[in-house]
Amino acid sequence: MRVLAIVPAFNEEECLADTIRSLTAACPQVDYLVVNDGSRDGTARVMRDEAIDGVNLPVNTGLTSAFRTGMKYALRHGYDAVVQYDADGQHLPDYIPEMARVLEERGADIVIASRFLDGTVRPSGARGVGSRLITLLIKLTTGATITDPTSGMRMYSRRMIELFATGFDCAPEPDMVAYVARRFGPVVEIQARMRERQGGESYLKLGNVIMYMSRTCLSIIMSRFLR
Amino acid sequence: MLPFYLRIMLVLGALAALAVVGRKVRRQKILVEDAVFWVVLAAVFVVLALFPDIAIVLSQALGFMSPSNFVYLAIIVLLLWKVFTNSAEISRLKAKVNELAQEVALAHGDTAEKDGR
Repeated sequence: MRVLAIVPAFNEEECLADTIRSLTAACPQVDYLVVNDGSRDGTARVMRDEAIDGVNLPVNTGLTSAFRTGMKYALRHGYDAVVQYDADGQHLPDYIPEMARVLEERGADIVIASRFLDGTVRPSGARGVGSRLITLLIKLTTGATITDPTSGMRMYSRRMIELFATGFDCAPEPDMVAYVARRFGPVVEIQARMRERQGGESYLKLGNVIMYMSRTCLSIIMSRFLR
Repeated sequence: MLPFYLRIMLVLGALAALAVVGRKVRRQKILVEDAVFWVVLAAVFVVLALFPDIAIVLSQALGFMSPSNFVYLAIIVLLLWKVFTNSAEISRLKAKVNELAQEVALAHGDTAEKDGR
């Protein structure tokens, strides 16, 4: 099974090189593609200097579009699965082989690396509240139980690669997970640990968290009836 | 009866709109096909100002308190519709721009491939 790790990067010069080094060290059999989303810092330079595989978007187009660039690449190069992988070092590559195995064995369309599956860690803070609310909404609208809908580490099946590469409204976000759980194959989770981000700045500050969560919740409800 | 000041405003507004739209078209700031909406809207205003009976009869038939209420409501609805279609068009444009950017990125190829590795 050929797996491609898509690493969207927007202003990630600080940690991109380390992230890619640990990814290739732990999973040499997994290809990766950095999608530099029109970064204004030295991300492109780091990619050149460190000989990191990747493509450069000429303008900043947002996470969704950056990820879909990778999906198009995966489709055109015949990959069987794609894993969405953060450039900031939060994700641990050690889970990728297990995710691929689960994807294949369970015939899943999405496998999520969940921080909360076994219940030893619980979602906390403003993001925790939002995360639980999204879990509840997905349960109500699709019947699926997703303990960590906002986890950014997800593996997608071949079918999903096609959908993301050619569809109109496909974002690597929780509302899409809900849509896939309802319309496509199973969405499965595995237990995983994540690290603190290793550098750069998260755009999920409190105001943004509230905006993001309300938009996601509304989007889940709307797509339940419209998609 | 449509108040006299509203009729004057309709005519002045229509003339101002026509002047602005005309200038933008000449300076190539708006496509003629997109300017059509505004020209037609201005024409409707002028017709309403010249023949206020249209608004009066319609507003009475629909049960409005006064013809001006009817005119205001009609304009608000029209503008809301226009804003919504703009939203939809911006969505389509966003999708197209992203699509183009993605193709440019992929066409330029891997940074590693480019270095001949």
